[in-house]
Amino acid sequence: MKKRLLAGLLILLFSVPSFALPEPQAQVETMVNSVLSVMQSTEMSPEEKKLQISGRVQKFLNVESMSRRTLGAYWDGATEEQREHFSQLFVRVLEGTYLSRIEDYSDGAVQYLKQRVKEDKAIIDTVIVSKELEIPVQYKMIYTDGSWQVFDLVIEGVSLVRNYRESYGEIIRRDGYDGLFALMEEKVGVIEKKQTIQ
Amino acid sequence: MLRRILIFWCLTCFLCTSLSLAADVNNSKIAGDDFDAAFGDEFNNNKPPRKLIADPLEPINRGVFWVNDKLYFYLFKPVAKGYRLVIPRPARVSVSNVFSNLATPIRAGNALLQLKYRDFGTEIYRFVINTTFGIGGLFDPAESVAGVKPRIEDFGQTLGYYGAGHGFYLVLPVVGPSSLRDGMGSFVDSFADPFRYADLETEEYLWVKLLDATNRLSLDRDTYEGIVRDSIDPYLFIRTAYAQRRLAQVGENTYNINLFQGPLFDSDLLNPLDWFGY
Repeated sequence: MKKRLLAGLLILLFSVPSFALPEPQAQVETMVNSVLSVMQSTEMSPEEKKLQISGRVQKFLNVESMSRRTLGAYWDGATEEQREHFSQLFVRVLEGTYLSRIEDYSDGAVQYLKQRVKEDKAIIDTVIVSKELEIPVQYKMIYTDGSWQVFDLVIEGVSLVRNYRESYGEIIRRDGYDGLFALMEEKVGVIEKKQTIQ
Repeated sequence: MLRRILIFWCLTCFLCTSLSLAADVNNSKIAGDDFDAAFGDEFNNNKPPRKLIADPLEPINRGVFWVNDKLYFYLFKPVAKGYRLVIPRPARVSVSNVFSNLATPIRAGNALLQLKYRDFGTEIYRFVINTTFGIGGLFDPAESVAGVKPRIEDFGQTLGYYGAGHGFYLVLPVVGPSSLRDGMGSFVDSFADPFRYADLETEEYLWVKLLDATNRLSLDRDTYEGIVRDSIDPYLFIRTAYAQRRLAQVGENTYNINLFQGPLFDSDLLNPLDWFGY
């Protein structure tokens, strides 16, 4: 009996790590495929598509991590309220920016080149091929709450988070947090208004 | 019997675990140093972010940026739109191929200066294939058939390769984002431009350049419009994007995937430099 118990414990002990981390690349593929399937569907209206895509993508994004890295040092200096406010606005800015452009690549195919994993971080190299354009896109991921989540996109060597960080940092330095929020709100308003007109 | 099954289970699990651990070790080995560099300072939130590019001339740059913006929306873009209406897309792609083919000396020369023999070979190979089979560069069979892509190199990158920094950010009239280093680079590159030696009048030379620029703009998918529409401060956005992109270009290019892996020319034997082991 004792032996059996011991064996059982051993099984538990050893079998845990072998299924602990799912493949991050598989996660990216799931995300990309689900977005592509929405874009290529013929039944949905453009608004419905945008809603669907936004919902599906958000499952794979780590908004908190993205926001934290975007604000960098300014994240530490912000109050809980400001952080929350920023995260919400930031998601809307990203949605406004990328959903309006995603249409252009609905005919694209995605090639997965390489996956690099180290502890809880991963980098996935992909290329979007569409017409004669080839756009290298790199996903940076982090393992949190039992799944791999994207926290940065590097498109043709340009990191999204880094780009936003540089601009937002400069604006906070100049106009403070409230200045940044006001500008973001204004921009989001303009983008969202344009999209409803279209 | 039960005992045997249990032992078997234990062994299997143990094997699986050690295998997956071994796989992990392999993964991190592949990851190497650039993996950490890729994450870099993002994981270090306490330090203020390092500036990508110095911009002491920001007020002047913003002024030039403003002028360029107006030129873009009220002159170059309308011209490019008219041009797009008159000339069908395949013809415009061919014009772009010709210009790209003629710019081979710039790319090949800089590859050589950086001792990137393989890239030099790639450029020579592309030039030979596209000038012959591609009918004077009108078509790009080197890429469309053989999958061999151009290697973008310029003198600014060569300077960067040998450790020179940007100096500071510059917005050039008409041309757009540049830096002290890259601006000087473009000047040096212009000596490798065949049009310089084509015995053209200054005016004709400018017309050629204008055609190149208009044609390029006509193939663009409103990139600049998107940036202006979406970013809070387009000037800052473009400055950062420019600095990041140049950094990526100077650094090792990891996206060089299908060099010499095309269906027809699937052999390194076609690159003479491979014969000597480069």
